[in-house]
Amino acid sequence: MAILDEPIKGTPVVKNYIDGEWVESKGEMIDVVNPVTCKPIAKVAISTREEIDAAVEAAKNAYPDWRRTPAVTRARYLIRLLQLLEDNFEKISRIQTQEHGKTIDESRGETRRGIENVEVACGIPSLMMGESSEDIASGIDEYLIRVPLGVFGVIGPYNFPFMIPLWSAPYAVATGNTVIVKPSSEVPNSQNAIAELVEEAGFPPGVWNVVHGGRTVVNGMLEHPDIEGITFVGSTPTMKDVIYPRCGATGKRVIAQGGAVNVIVVMPDCNVEATIPGLMTSFFGNAGQRCLAGQTLAIVDDKGDFYESFVEKTAAFAKRIIIGNGLDESVQMGPLRDPQKKERVNDYIEIGLKEGATLRLDGRKPTIKGDFPDTCFLGPTIFENCAAGMRIVDEEIFGPTMSVVRVKDLDEAIRLCNDVPLHNGHAIFTSNGKWARKFQYEVISGNVGINIGIVAPMAFFPFSGMKGSFMGTLHTQGKEAVRFFTESKVCIHRWL
Amino acid sequence: MKLCTTSETISFAKELEEQSGKFYLKMAQRFEQARDLEPFQEENRKYSIQIQRAYQSVITDAIEGCFAFALESEDYLLDTELPEELGFSAALKKAIAMEEKITAFYNTAADQSMSLMADIPRNFKIISRKRQKRLDQLKEK
Repeated sequence: MAILDEPIKGTPVVKNYIDGEWVESKGEMIDVVNPVTCKPIAKVAISTREEIDAAVEAAKNAYPDWRRTPAVTRARYLIRLLQLLEDNFEKISRIQTQEHGKTIDESRGETRRGIENVEVACGIPSLMMGESSEDIASGIDEYLIRVPLGVFGVIGPYNFPFMIPLWSAPYAVATGNTVIVKPSSEVPNSQNAIAELVEEAGFPPGVWNVVHGGRTVVNGMLEHPDIEGITFVGSTPTMKDVIYPRCGATGKRVIAQGGAVNVIVVMPDCNVEATIPGLMTSFFGNAGQRCLAGQTLAIVDDKGDFYESFVEKTAAFAKRIIIGNGLDESVQMGPLRDPQKKERVNDYIEIGLKEGATLRLDGRKPTIKGDFPDTCFLGPTIFENCAAGMRIVDEEIFGPTMSVVRVKDLDEAIRLCNDVPLHNGHAIFTSNGKWARKFQYEVISGNVGINIGIVAPMAFFPFSGMKGSFMGTLHTQGKEAVRFFTESKVCIHRWL
Repeated sequence: MKLCTTSETISFAKELEEQSGKFYLKMAQRFEQARDLEPFQEENRKYSIQIQRAYQSVITDAIEGCFAFALESEDYLLDTELPEELGFSAALKKAIAMEEKITAFYNTAADQSMSLMADIPRNFKIISRKRQKRLDQLKEK
């Protein structure tokens, strides 16, 4: 099968997009490295405080006119952007694979999910409509209008560099705000690809800005008095210790989405042939680097043969996974994003072994398709003899590992789900509706899967999260995003 | 070669459509009795677009894009050679064999991914049904 062309040629400098202009940063340049080849594919700047301040200034200046632009007109800008994104679907997908390492199927999936949010935001004239009541008292009417607030910041992670900023940015601008996107500096190119299309769609300067960088940019966003709110997706420690408290300190509204330790429960009555591919996607898709990835597999089987036969089939399937360059269409799993992330997962494998787990499948010496260094590659790794309380069950690993726990019944499986600290997307595989409902009802999880291993909500539903996986009130995507990016203004009229 | 990912399965399907489309064009140019087969090439092109659209519309990180198939590409390799000495009835036999293989490919691919890939197997089935009609047309010749 084909090895697809790389869209990024040479090592271009990734510029900031501020006030409708492409600006080269004065900050220190770092390499953007393809994790498959370990070679640099671009250079990106760690932008300075002055540069983020300039972006805020541009966004602030653009806001009054953009706010006055009718919602239906703002939607038409988004419709143009939507068309351009569709026209560039393949190029954008390949950029993600080239700079992140994920497979081309995964990148196209990410592109589709991102575009869906632009589609939903195109419905802003209806989504933003208010409410009214006539005669709340004789001759007095009351109504509610949703109004934008000003400048918003969007801080994106490395694992879904294209999609995740689109959980927020299209809604921010659709509702009449202006926005600054700060992508992960490890994978900055797909957000610039969007910004190029924003420019082509004719958005007024300053409405949609992109500033690359690290802590300086994040701190600049968190501290700036003219930024009204922040959406963040990243690690739980950063969410808890940095983003949420500092937004509180400066009076910003915030959606902060952190990590996850998802448990996938398998009942003995599941459709095994369909469940196993679902588990492969859940545990090993995106090389396990996603906040909806399965980490712990809870197999419900007290003393029967189901456990052994299921683990055997799962391990056999996982062992056959083709690892390599995501632009090779036959590849099923790419590398970790960088050597440090691989090292972290390796450390957890050691921790698991020290805790008494055993390896049913050891991915530390993977067979890689093609002539590539193994610097960032790790194969699927399956632990057995795991139990609640072990670090490989309770802590987020964020890699292609599966910690298998044998449990005696559904109640024990649900306890296992509810006892882990982070709750993004627990799931169950079963053919029994009663068990499925019990699971859905009792499990603490922002997103719940029934025979779905990756519980990724569509753009018209919120991307939820509970306990340590989320801080804030409203969520990204759909109607909740519209609520987040607007304030309710309530008017009471009496004509004397 | 094993086809496991959706990307390679879609590429393979498009390759089958292209190869068989070229075969019909050559056949129509060579044989008077095969003139009515020329539009098959255009139909094939539309099938390719239909498959591509279904794929791009439905592919997400929530479904099993990299793990949905286990097809052997060797089972569906097409013989699209049309040597000079080959007569119409032999060419027709080749066309029938080719359509049977392509139909089998779509049916197997659809069955394997039915519960995993949403609109993609549905489209495979639709194309397979349409090809069955084509097969009937070829057999009536």
